[in-house]
Amino acid sequence: MSLARIWRVLRKDLALGPRSPFFLWALVLPVGMTLLVQVAFGSLFEPVPRIGILDEGASAITASVAEMEGIVLERFDDAGDLRAAVEANDLDAGLILPAGFDDAVRAGEQPPLEFFIGGESYAANRIILSVTTIDLIREVEGSAAPVEVEVVSFGDEGLPISARLVPMVVFYALVMAGVFVPGSSLVEEKEHGTLMAMLVTPVRSREVMVAKWALGLLLATVMSVVTLMLNRAMGARPAEVILVVLVAGALTSMIGILAGVVAKDSTMFFGLVKGTGVLLFAPVIFYVFPDWPQWIAKLFPLYWVIEPIWQVSVMGASITTVWQELAIALGITVALIPITAFLARRMQAQMAGQ
Amino acid sequence: MTVPAISVDGLRYSYGDLEAVKGVSFDVQPGEILGFLGPNGAGKSTTIKMLTGQLTPKGGSARILGVDVALDDPEVQAQIGVCFEEKNLYLQMTALENLEFFASLFGIRDVDAMEVLRRVGLADRARDRVGNFSKGMRQRMMISRAFINKPKVLFLDEPTDGLDPVTSAAIRTTIREEADRGAAVLLTTHDMFEADELSDRVAFINEGEIVALDTAESLKLKYGTRSVLVRLRDGNGVREEHLPLGGDGSSARLAELAGSPDLLTIHTEEATLEAIFIKLTGRGLEG
Repeated sequence: MSLARIWRVLRKDLALGPRSPFFLWALVLPVGMTLLVQVAFGSLFEPVPRIGILDEGASAITASVAEMEGIVLERFDDAGDLRAAVEANDLDAGLILPAGFDDAVRAGEQPPLEFFIGGESYAANRIILSVTTIDLIREVEGSAAPVEVEVVSFGDEGLPISARLVPMVVFYALVMAGVFVPGSSLVEEKEHGTLMAMLVTPVRSREVMVAKWALGLLLATVMSVVTLMLNRAMGARPAEVILVVLVAGALTSMIGILAGVVAKDSTMFFGLVKGTGVLLFAPVIFYVFPDWPQWIAKLFPLYWVIEPIWQVSVMGASITTVWQELAIALGITVALIPITAFLARRMQAQMAGQ
Repeated sequence: MTVPAISVDGLRYSYGDLEAVKGVSFDVQPGEILGFLGPNGAGKSTTIKMLTGQLTPKGGSARILGVDVALDDPEVQAQIGVCFEEKNLYLQMTALENLEFFASLFGIRDVDAMEVLRRVGLADRARDRVGNFSKGMRQRMMISRAFINKPKVLFLDEPTDGLDPVTSAAIRTTIREEADRGAAVLLTTHDMFEADELSDRVAFINEGEIVALDTAESLKLKYGTRSVLVRLRDGNGVREEHLPLGGDGSSARLAELAGSPDLLTIHTEEATLEAIFIKLTGRGLEG
């Protein structure tokens, strides 16, 4: 096996990619689906409150705001810069905490507090930031809240639908880039005879397969990561998310190569993918309908890559919690290698016999 | 003693129950063009597919540059050039990109693809997509791709099939240049004129077997009948007489007709390769 020859075939496929409608579709579909989901479920233009703080001491208020996930904090060293940022609507609000502010509050003094509000900021953001600031000052003061708030949730507790649809959008990124692109590329090479043209050069069929697999792996990984980023689902450990997505790309690309090897032509390839598509897609549905018996999802091969992505990216879990799923996914990938190699040899004989 | 560039001994292949190649044997020396002449389905392409590693022989042996083809050695593939009957080019790529890509598969870094395109008259279309090329241009691309690695052995499967005479002649010139460079050429064709013009030797293959293998001239002498055709005025019409050369009384009759006031023309008649093929196999080459 020559890495140089694999790279040359892969480089050719990457160069031909932008001329292939499938390649382009694999790039566009996940992005389009993300936009569709976000528009449909209102998460696209969801305004996140943004506050700037000039902390002349070391206030606990600043530390508390920094820990809040739903608020964007920007720190300033200069009051003029902070004011300018609010005026320019780069921030919804600005807060200047003078040195010794916390001590003064605790001592029962009423220290001056400058709080700017952007004239063009969303009303909801103004309210959130104002109430949050007042609450934090009360905390510093150590006084009890004047009222006890009882929170009543309407509807089922759980993740928003836009989050539960993330596995579906990622699935499409994986399947389009990992299954369709390498599979259709292989079938196209068979149909046009270019595969045979390569095989009478020093290139071996296994090198072509590895190059196509690498194409799917690369594209599936990139598109899945892009999709997760667009869905703000890269989690707290982006490196672990990328690792999980790489395993997913490896499996989906292997499935794509297998389909490409089995299919004699494009019609058969699309028929094959459509026919087995439900088996690939099935585990995704269980994330949309969490009340369904979840064990059924485990019967489908892509569950073993979708679940780790879900846990590590959306749920923020560590990769160590999904090592079993990843091991099974890698096991399936490895098990498919000899099957694909055997079918590839048969495919080559069939092609030459035509 | 020179090692044959191609050495085939009792090569066999079957598709299921159909025996396509039934133990063919032949050699091709460096610089030699062997014409593989036979109708469709005779076993020409299957033989080439075995020699180029596309099919694994089911019997016999074949060596390319002294290496057994069954070893599937990439080093052998590095020394061969193949022109398929099917025009299997990357249509979305330009002519230059096609050649540079295939050169890279051979590990050739400093290929002068433009020079190769110039040889086949496509230099001015180097940066055009092959998908926009005519059938003849694509065939010239196929030939140039087969030459890109300066191969020691060339397999050309119907290289001028369906092309216009001008393009065919240009391609034949290029093939001859490759042989003159020292490449052994195995040329399959069912075009008897092409085989006659290009080949140093000709092999007739029919139903998977080589039925004759020699120079075209020797085959004509061995199997053909030499004769002259004499055309004479006959009233308002034309009368023809075929006189076998060397036949009893032919010379006297020819002298008699040559002196006749009704004589119109005298032509020598030479057996064509097709006629010999029909004589040997009972079937035509187009079949």
